[in-house]
Amino acid sequence: MNPIPANAANVSTPVSASRLRSLQAVGIFSGFAAGAWLGGAEAPIKLVSPSISPITVSLIMVLGVFLARWSVPAFIRGTAHVGNDVRQAPHLIVWAVLAGCMWAVANTLTIYAIRNVGLSIAFPLWNTNSLLGIFWGFLLFNELHYAGWKRWLGVIGGALCMFAGATMLAIASSHQAAPGKATLGILAALGAGALWGTMYIPYRKAYLTGMNPLSFITFFTVGEVLTMSLLAIGYRGAFPLWHELVSARAVLFWLMLGGFVWVVGDLFQQYATKYVGISRGIPLSNTNQLWGLLWGILVFHELQGASRSVYTQVAGGSILMALGALAISLSSATQREHSSWQDAAQREGTRYGVEREYVRAGMEGRAHHEIDKRRSPLDWALIIGTTALFVILAFAAKTPSVGFSTAWAVALAIAMLTLMVTCGIALWRVTKFL
Amino acid sequence: MVSNSTHRASRNLLLAIATDIHFWIPLGVLLGGLALLDKVR
Repeated sequence: MNPIPANAANVSTPVSASRLRSLQAVGIFSGFAAGAWLGGAEAPIKLVSPSISPITVSLIMVLGVFLARWSVPAFIRGTAHVGNDVRQAPHLIVWAVLAGCMWAVANTLTIYAIRNVGLSIAFPLWNTNSLLGIFWGFLLFNELHYAGWKRWLGVIGGALCMFAGATMLAIASSHQAAPGKATLGILAALGAGALWGTMYIPYRKAYLTGMNPLSFITFFTVGEVLTMSLLAIGYRGAFPLWHELVSARAVLFWLMLGGFVWVVGDLFQQYATKYVGISRGIPLSNTNQLWGLLWGILVFHELQGASRSVYTQVAGGSILMALGALAISLSSATQREHSSWQDAAQREGTRYGVEREYVRAGMEGRAHHEIDKRRSPLDWALIIGTTALFVILAFAAKTPSVGFSTAWAVALAIAMLTLMVTCGIALWRVTKFL
Repeated sequence: MVSNSTHRASRNLLLAIATDIHFWIPLGVLLGGLALLDKVR
């Protein structure tokens, strides 16, 4: 292991109370913004005909995700920052790629889980990821240490409340009866939950050692796209997959747009994880189910003609989820708990020989040192190339034949954009997107 | 000279990762997930 650079401050010096309050507030805000955008990502996918195989749908989305994960950081900060982060903490490339592989496997498992047991059973099972995230946060990264019983109650109670709400919503919004292969379906859903819940270990590891979310996601997506491509080729075969991709060109735009929207949500989720930890950030991001339901009911008329008991379940589940999220958002970390996070950060920095000042600056959401803010030719190539590709795909896209309410779609899109802009401004003011 | 120090840095990095229990937990879960995927598909 590398020696600890001796030229910097101690990571464990407590962050000032006012700075901590700002970081916690912006982290919680990011969690809510993440929920809106992750939920909204389901909307473009609903416009696509179910005749395309789920693996291919997943692969196309991941290709859109890949483009977004390189072009959005290039647009916001420029790829020079990515290079700087890698020089400071090169070990995080391995962690990010590992996390990306986990995401791709979990996402594929959910496809089989839904197919075998239906959404109503599968969704709550993989939603246990937030409970596992709390466990890993406590065990490995000192989260909720010295938090006091009120905050424990807020976080655990809130997560359980959200889990119960998610179960009710999933049952209400399910149109599928559970067919055979139930055990395998349940195992697939639990496996997806375990993978997603454990994927937050690399996330937390990265952010404790000062990495910027915009840098982390660029390597995360390499693992994602490689694993998804291998799975798709392995399961479909290279030629059948290619033919399916070519024949799906009319819907490529919608699927890749879904991937792009998903990345915006995931980026907010990463900032939430960085500033409030996985025990709070992940349950807040899980409010995506509420947004997905709003899109389903208001825009795609999914529960039209449903019984009164279904609407009661939807109302009850939504209220439970909202109350759970509220409880978690009111249980932000105290200065003492944050100090124990800093101890975990110091441990990580020591193990991987990361400069202490870099770790500390990352935790406090401030710049370690000034970097040239100008965009490089690579940045412009990424931004212009991705935009051009989306424009070309949009021209090739067919207008969906699925009936939907334009007015509600515009209203929800405006709500999402408002959340993105306000949260983006808050992140910029407090952290300059660090 | 430079290549030697780069080589040493890479080896140190890999050693730090390989001796970190935090690495083996997600890797183990990933391998388990792949095995499960092979069963359910």
